[in-house]
Amino acid sequence: MTVKALYDYDYPSKDRQENFGDDLLVNVMWANNMMFCAPACFRAPKAMSFADFKSQMIDSWAASDPDYDPSTPRDWQVNGKPFSATDGMSLEESGVGHKGLFVFRT
Amino acid sequence: MARAKLSMRERYRLLTRDLDWEPTYVEPEKVYPYTRYEGIKIHDWDAWEDPFRLTVDSYAKYQAEKDKKLYAVVEGFAQGQGHLSLSDARYVNSLKLFLCGVTPLEYAAHRHFGFLARYLDGPGARFAALCQSIDELRHTQTEIHTISQYNKYYGGLHNFSQMHDRVWYLSVPKSFFEDGISAGPFEFLTAISFSFEYFLTNLLFVPFMSGASFNGDLATMTFGFSAQSDESRHMTLGLEVIKFMLEQDEGNVPIIQDWIDKWFWRGYRLLSLVASMMDYMLPKKIMSWKESFELYLEQQMLEGLFPDLEYYGIRPPRHVQQAITEKDYMSHQVAWILYQFSFAANFNATVPPKEEMDWMSQAYPDTFDRHYRPLWERARSLQEQGKRFFFQGLPMLCQTCQIPMGFTEPGDPTTLCVRTSEYRGERFNFCSDGCKWIFDREPEKYVQAWLPVHQIYQGNCGGTSIPEVLEWYGIQDGVDNGEYLTSPDKANWDKWHAPSVVGGGVS
Repeated sequence: MTVKALYDYDYPSKDRQENFGDDLLVNVMWANNMMFCAPACFRAPKAMSFADFKSQMIDSWAASDPDYDPSTPRDWQVNGKPFSATDGMSLEESGVGHKGLFVFRT
Repeated sequence: MARAKLSMRERYRLLTRDLDWEPTYVEPEKVYPYTRYEGIKIHDWDAWEDPFRLTVDSYAKYQAEKDKKLYAVVEGFAQGQGHLSLSDARYVNSLKLFLCGVTPLEYAAHRHFGFLARYLDGPGARFAALCQSIDELRHTQTEIHTISQYNKYYGGLHNFSQMHDRVWYLSVPKSFFEDGISAGPFEFLTAISFSFEYFLTNLLFVPFMSGASFNGDLATMTFGFSAQSDESRHMTLGLEVIKFMLEQDEGNVPIIQDWIDKWFWRGYRLLSLVASMMDYMLPKKIMSWKESFELYLEQQMLEGLFPDLEYYGIRPPRHVQQAITEKDYMSHQVAWILYQFSFAANFNATVPPKEEMDWMSQAYPDTFDRHYRPLWERARSLQEQGKRFFFQGLPMLCQTCQIPMGFTEPGDPTTLCVRTSEYRGERFNFCSDGCKWIFDREPEKYVQAWLPVHQIYQGNCGGTSIPEVLEWYGIQDGVDNGEYLTSPDKANWDKWHAPSVVGGGVS
């Protein structure tokens, strides 16, 4: 279906990737910890390595829970598929994409 | 010589319908350009039964008297420091939610019913829209007057209109209503008059007004009584409008069914804020969200209204089963969201006191002790160690309802639900099958959603740091937001209720 309108109804997406320049929006869910009510959303450079994304962004967010141990995340998924980062892999290469989702468990 | 007085009915006929005429110099389609493109066919506008049957002069006279009585009560309550006899200062959080979340919707309704009062083809329908437009403006004013007295003593109430436009969780009601007013007139009537003002109205109105009554807020309770006669007219209009459209043409039925499906889920997701208010912000409970849902939705609507609508070929809303499944946990999930994001809200949240948790165990025997009590108890323990738990970051939001993605898979309250759609090569995320279904019907519309988190990241909300965003919201950090137990509202309340010392004065 499409919008019924009296005129040509065509507007750009408000959060299209180009509005974020060289960055992406990336969502992260800590799957087995209900302390976090929802996944987190980050803005991060496409070229950032996954390792840096994890240590600089995910770790400081996950540390909202004082029991978080940065060495414990496992069973990573990217957009529903199993994921393991190779050395130096960038966010762009990880396949997460703009507004995609990483999931981990501990 | 005295003139015979006309009956009300006769005056109504002469002053509304009798003043209408058929345009002959201009095509009706040009005078009323918005009532055809949605596909709804109306063959006879005169079949419209007006539930108002009022004239402007009688409306003005009667409503002015009613509003004057309300203002007398509000004034007396304010003069007598009525706020001191509330159940607790924590109750005022529900008023913060009401003034910032609901009052601006009344104003938006006023504007859009004003538009319909010009653009519906039938004079009866136009006049009904006119009366409702004035009602909605009166409600905006009376709500502001009723609640403004609290602004002198409590945080979070000082710029409700700006907050409605900017604060993250208020984008939920705002985008809901803007979805309605940017639709055509018949969809708007189905969305607001039928779904919101008839189908879901008790779930919205009763928690706030009974909540006021149970918690010593005579002013807001009196507003509720005062508005009740208007609201019952709006309900009548909501049912009349849906029956009118269904009776006019068989081809209207599938279109209306589709709108009922959409607006049930839109309204239901919006009401999740009310559900958490009801269970968590009212120190004196009325009933649980679950009981309220069973009474007003399952019994009154699904068992009462929908069997009647079946006659027209209308079935209960799509996804209603999911709402029934969620009644055991939705209010807790949303309260948990509000608790950990209260640093960016104009209200205070806290762990429920022990007696309230026991009440919840009774009200939610299958879920509370198993899933939510452990979370609240851990939060309390962290707080006691000086580590009040906040989500230190921004949440992933649903593209449709705009609520943080804190809802779970149907029947599994421990697994967060994530649905996605791809549109023109871009990914969109949803909290539920209902919100995804709504997006997939009209992706061109929802790709334009103003999602607070993504707007912050684009730099459109005053900056990208929390202090900058709070300033842009108009939230005074440490005054309006965050934890209740350490809030100025709580400190003031304790001071006002400290035992008085002989010879000491109240400062």
